[in-house]
Amino acid sequence: MKPSRVPANLGAMLLLGVALAYVGVLVLLPLLVVFVEALRSGVGAYLEALSDPYAHSAIRLTLMTAAISVPLNLVFGVAASWAITKFDFRGKNALITLIDLPFAVSPVISGLIYLLVFGAQGWLGPWLLEHDIRVVFAVPGIILATTFVTFPFVARELIPLMQAQGTDEEVTALSLGASGWQTFWLVTLPNIRWGLLYGVLLCNARAMGEFGAVSVVSGHIRGLTNTLPLHIEILHKEYNPVGAFATAALLAMLALVTLITKSLLEMRHPELRQGVARQR
Amino acid sequence: MSIDFERISKRYGELTVVNDVSLHIASGEFFVLLGPSGSGKSTLLRAAAGLTGIEDGRILFDRRDVTHVPARQRGVGLVFQHYALFRHMTVGENVEFALRVRGVKHADRARRRNELLQLVALDDFTNRMPGQLSGGQQQRVAVARALAHEPAVLLLDEPFGALDAQIRVELRETIRQVQRRLGMTTILVTHDQEEAFALGDRIGVMHNGRLLETGKPEMLYRHPATRFVATFLGAANLFLGELSAGGLKLGQAQIAAADSQRASGHGEAVTVVRPEDIELADSEARLHSTPLCSGHVQSLSFAGGVQRLRVQLPGDSAVQSAVNLANAAPLVLEVTRNSSEQLQLALNAGQRVAVGVRRVHLLPTPISSFRILADSAQDASQLRNSPLLNQLATSMRARIIDSTASSGEGNVTQGVAVLAADSRAIPTIAAALARGTQRLLCIPAGAPLPRRVVICTDSDAARPAALALVASVMRHLHAEATFVSVQSPAAPRGDVAGSFRRLLDTRAELLESHGLDVRTDLQVGALDDWLARLAASEEQTLIVLGVAGDAAQIEATLTQRFQPLLGGRCPVLLSCSHAPVATLGAAGAMASAQEPDQQLIDGAE
Repeated sequence: MKPSRVPANLGAMLLLGVALAYVGVLVLLPLLVVFVEALRSGVGAYLEALSDPYAHSAIRLTLMTAAISVPLNLVFGVAASWAITKFDFRGKNALITLIDLPFAVSPVISGLIYLLVFGAQGWLGPWLLEHDIRVVFAVPGIILATTFVTFPFVARELIPLMQAQGTDEEVTALSLGASGWQTFWLVTLPNIRWGLLYGVLLCNARAMGEFGAVSVVSGHIRGLTNTLPLHIEILHKEYNPVGAFATAALLAMLALVTLITKSLLEMRHPELRQGVARQR
Repeated sequence: MSIDFERISKRYGELTVVNDVSLHIASGEFFVLLGPSGSGKSTLLRAAAGLTGIEDGRILFDRRDVTHVPARQRGVGLVFQHYALFRHMTVGENVEFALRVRGVKHADRARRRNELLQLVALDDFTNRMPGQLSGGQQQRVAVARALAHEPAVLLLDEPFGALDAQIRVELRETIRQVQRRLGMTTILVTHDQEEAFALGDRIGVMHNGRLLETGKPEMLYRHPATRFVATFLGAANLFLGELSAGGLKLGQAQIAAADSQRASGHGEAVTVVRPEDIELADSEARLHSTPLCSGHVQSLSFAGGVQRLRVQLPGDSAVQSAVNLANAAPLVLEVTRNSSEQLQLALNAGQRVAVGVRRVHLLPTPISSFRILADSAQDASQLRNSPLLNQLATSMRARIIDSTASSGEGNVTQGVAVLAADSRAIPTIAAALARGTQRLLCIPAGAPLPRRVVICTDSDAARPAALALVASVMRHLHAEATFVSVQSPAAPRGDVAGSFRRLLDTRAELLESHGLDVRTDLQVGALDDWLARLAASEEQTLIVLGVAGDAAQIEATLTQRFQPLLGGRCPVLLSCSHAPVATLGAAGAMASAQEPDQQLIDGAE
């Protein structure tokens, strides 16, 4: 049944009003405040805040983190979805549950896990110290924590899509003489490409915005281990509202670009919205 | 390219989906695997394509073992029910796929693509996407795609299943023409018998993972060997008839030898009468065929060229159904009449008619029916509900008849007598033997479904009949059979060697004439002791015991040697051969005396 275009009666209008007000107060207003506050002292102050070398280093680190963790999760996500949907094996359900784990666990705990494993007092700490490898309070720790937190996005997007598509096409490709690799590149990948892009975008948005887990393992060393979200927090704590809001506006912009791309994708490929495959 | 399946078995955990299937398909043949869903036919096809592994057996292409060759190297063309076209490729790209992955040059690919699309009459659709085509067109693309790499084998898995009736017929024609022109060996899997008849050079009918029968369509339709095939391939009326020197007796009617296929032998036989072989007339005098009985028209329906009727026989009719009827329901015949018959005699529902049969076919099964011998109705219902009898009767579609001595049906000598294995078993068996019964199933109270079947005979003379019976039973049990020979410890060396030879002979014989493989086992001891121990054990075993002799001799044998066996936990199937007891070594001379049983072996169910 298609929804009717205009709310028909008072009840429906009331419901719509409540929903709009809710979104307005909780989502739209704060976003607006970010941009308003950022530009309060004029464009000059805004640009100055962004030209701060610490801000530059934070932007660089954030982009680098995303550039490493997103491809990692892309490869893992495709491999895991392929394995889960095209094969039957023992421990399949365990794998599905494990993929969901980062969603279920608080990001702070995700960070603490790495602290406990790689920190100076952690399991591998003494060995790492001996070999002069720094993981925690350094860039590798930030990348690990971000990768962990953004782990499920690609796989979660692909699994329902690939489940709905089934294995008939792959089986046919095999019977027609294609190798496993050819089957993947010629048949599977083209079928999932839009879903994959969608998952990567979501994954990227989260990778750039992650605060909790990164905060725990970063050590907040200015110019070295501060990502954009951490940098914003520091500026805020230092009573530098212009700097904080200017940087926040930049991060919000990145998120908005991601969202807009995602919406454009959804408009072109409505099936992504439902998270299921195109009709056969 | 010829295809051989050699003793293929496929299991999913506990479930055996393909059970010991052997099949030869000649080069260029169009073979149809027919069966209800879940019969294992698709699994067998997927095994041929290399898409599913098998636990046992070999698959040969042109006598070359391809069991472990991966799917992509088998060079078969495969078409699925749901087309499985590559949805992001155009029709042309779909057809070219097999050539593309083989690195064929673009120009050659295009030429082959055009040829193939022409073959399936879709040359104008090269640049369309699959989603823009109708179901029938998509399936034609799938067929063209499967042919691109010139496979020697074409495998079709319910290719018409998702199509409308008319498109189905058209595509059927296309596939038949393409197959004829290219001469590919083709296997089609379907559950639709009309499709099987229209396309198959030969048909193989599968049921419960077993390949029951193979043959040319008309052969299978006219002369099925099993109840399942008789009823699955078209409609069939199954009766219990009694065969004697004078011919076949169906109820009160005596059918001359010329009308029936196998007019020799004696005893109860399952009789198949096709709906079109039944004649209806307003009085018996006007029948052109052998009168069977009278009845009245229950219902009629229009079915294009023919008229379908259901004719109900009166409750006291002497004609007996070979399949189970709901509680005391009257026997209803399925009849079809062609247009000239309809013109000669118009019929209305409720009208009385005389029923005649033009042609009958007798099934060669040794188990024509199960007849329960019990003292009370309670005992009878307990037997009727036992898991073993239930499984056998349901799977065979055989009828269970209460046949206590008082009911007047006790004089029928054939079928399998079913009785409780308790202290009163031996007198009951003796009485049944005296009436001429040859096969008896003794079921202890509460016996579970057997997981294993053990076969022993007390002499070589008893063996052929016992093996025919085992072959028939094994088709309907998911169990493993072992033929056991028990050797006295004091036996001279020559006897031991003879026992070994007999085991191997038996195995070969079963495989040869029944397509059934058994394990063999040689035990040391006395047969009766060994069996008594087995019967008393917890193992869920069906013991098949073959004994030979006249009624009195067998009764004596049972009383003296096998009494403990009939009081044990295991069900016992007795096969009694009414022949003078042969001494060892004289088995060859027994062959002629065993005529009726030998005949039963050939197509045992």
